[in-house]
Amino acid sequence: MSIFSNKSEKIFIYLFFAIGLFIPLFLEGNTFFINKFSTIIILAIFVMSLDYLVGRTGLITLGHAMFYGLGGYIFTILAPEYEAVNFWVYTFYVMLISGFIALIVGLIVLRTSGIYMIMITLALAQMSFYFFADSIEYGGQDGLFVYIKPETSIFGLNFLDLENETHFYYLCLLSLFNCFVFFKIIMNSSFGRVIDALKENPDRATALGYNIFHFRLIAYVLSSSLAAYAGYLFALQFGFVNPSMMSWDVSATALVMALLGGQGSIYGAIIGSFVYEGLHYFIEHLTEYWMFFMGALIIALVLTLKNGMAGFLNTLSGGKRS
Amino acid sequence: MDTSLFLVQLLNGVQYGLLLFLIASGLTLVFGVMGILNLAHGSMYMIGAYLAYYFTTLTDSFLLAFIISGTIALVIGIIIERCLIIHLYKRDHLDQVLLTVGLIFVFNATQSFVWGNDPLGVEVPEILSGSIKLTDIVEYPVYRLFISLLCLVVAATMYFTINKTRLGMMIRAGESDRAMVENLGVDISKLFTIVFAIGVFLASLAGIVSAPIVSLVPGMGEHVLISCFVVVVIGGLGSIKGAFVAALIVGIADTYASVLLPQISSMSIYLLMALILLVKPQGLFKN
Repeated sequence: MSIFSNKSEKIFIYLFFAIGLFIPLFLEGNTFFINKFSTIIILAIFVMSLDYLVGRTGLITLGHAMFYGLGGYIFTILAPEYEAVNFWVYTFYVMLISGFIALIVGLIVLRTSGIYMIMITLALAQMSFYFFADSIEYGGQDGLFVYIKPETSIFGLNFLDLENETHFYYLCLLSLFNCFVFFKIIMNSSFGRVIDALKENPDRATALGYNIFHFRLIAYVLSSSLAAYAGYLFALQFGFVNPSMMSWDVSATALVMALLGGQGSIYGAIIGSFVYEGLHYFIEHLTEYWMFFMGALIIALVLTLKNGMAGFLNTLSGGKRS
Repeated sequence: MDTSLFLVQLLNGVQYGLLLFLIASGLTLVFGVMGILNLAHGSMYMIGAYLAYYFTTLTDSFLLAFIISGTIALVIGIIIERCLIIHLYKRDHLDQVLLTVGLIFVFNATQSFVWGNDPLGVEVPEILSGSIKLTDIVEYPVYRLFISLLCLVVAATMYFTINKTRLGMMIRAGESDRAMVENLGVDISKLFTIVFAIGVFLASLAGIVSAPIVSLVPGMGEHVLISCFVVVVIGGLGSIKGAFVAALIVGIADTYASVLLPQISSMSIYLLMALILLVKPQGLFKN
């Protein structure tokens, strides 16, 4: 069984990663664009984790940025300030701790659903925003800085230097690929089938003997710890974390990107992030008031393009609506 | 804390709570009747405040500014409902969230285009600029009392309208069974327009009256919106009575927390919300 659900997805993924692998060769020395691509890829991981939660389990959250920010904070707080730590070990720590926090938060927010959940996730994210913005030991509004980047040796082999932009780019690309494959495997597993079923009809899934709450909680924890991983990469790229990573508009923008790509399609998260950031970059250069046009675009998008870019591509390649 | 300071803080808390009620009641009314969560509700608060600033400087009269801004807000409400929200009635929550987030972007950009990003202020109108002596040394500004009074009048008007008038009857009916109301021959689309315009008007009204006591900064709408979410979640979504009680609780808790527990003051209302949700996941007044 192939991990792709349709033809356009297969073509897109092959094309994207093939181009992604070779793009640094064409941008030789142009670190601005390599960094820009790394940033968008990190964002795509974040959007993908949100897309799984919103598009697949049907749980709409406006507070996902809380975990994005937490990922960065967990690393910066845990790692000793002037000592290079191991990247893989800290990846494990970040995902484990954020997963644990997601478990507790999930126990509260998943008691509710629909509109309530949207408001509660937003309020909780805002609470963690204020927690870090008001704390003196975590740097307040200015946040914390990462002075030494981690080293990446694994079993004594060390082939990535995170100070090098191109190496970091490849790490992000690899992470995105792993993230994509991970979600596709989950979607095709029996766990993923149950998740699909309970999005489609929660009552029937309950009647079949599945405990909806447990399945939702697992999906919430998985998605949140991947969002934290993206935040961790963000902290490494920019060398700082601050509360604004958790602000509501980060969550809202990610939702827009997920929808732009086509909700629940997973690979659409990559399209959504690149299209949104591309447009953002383009409009920002034309006018200071880019938000006006982005806002108008979002409204137009909601009113017209129901299945996002992924649905559009799929129709182009002659596939059925999925 | 001595008694007079305690009293001043109580008055501040009640005033803030009543203001929150004004905004939250609009949010909860629109949700209760139409099933729409309007995230751009906070933006209407912001627009109200900036319009009040604009027309006060233009006409030199706060009262005139009050009337003009309120009218503009009603018109904006009608336009948004007729052109955009009308497409959302058959869509899911996600589309509501995204479309209203788009509206926030548009309003924020418009605000920074027209009025810039520097903080602005409106002067307290002259008749209301005095202070009342509470004790020998403690004074309280009249304008804050005026806000509390105005909010109470609005709350009473809403209570009367919803419980005693024909429009209120339709609103209550729309809350319990939308399809049945339509079948009974009520023009539901007209009712929706009216309710949405009232909601927008309430948020803008709060913005207009609070313009003289807050500084007008970009992002003020989102801050208020999130506080309103806390109010609505605690009070129970769709319940105006719940919004009233919860707004007062939140207003007073927030004011006292900033005096008594300054280190966690901005987190306090969220902690309160989380606690209440653990006990009552549907809020205090969910019917």
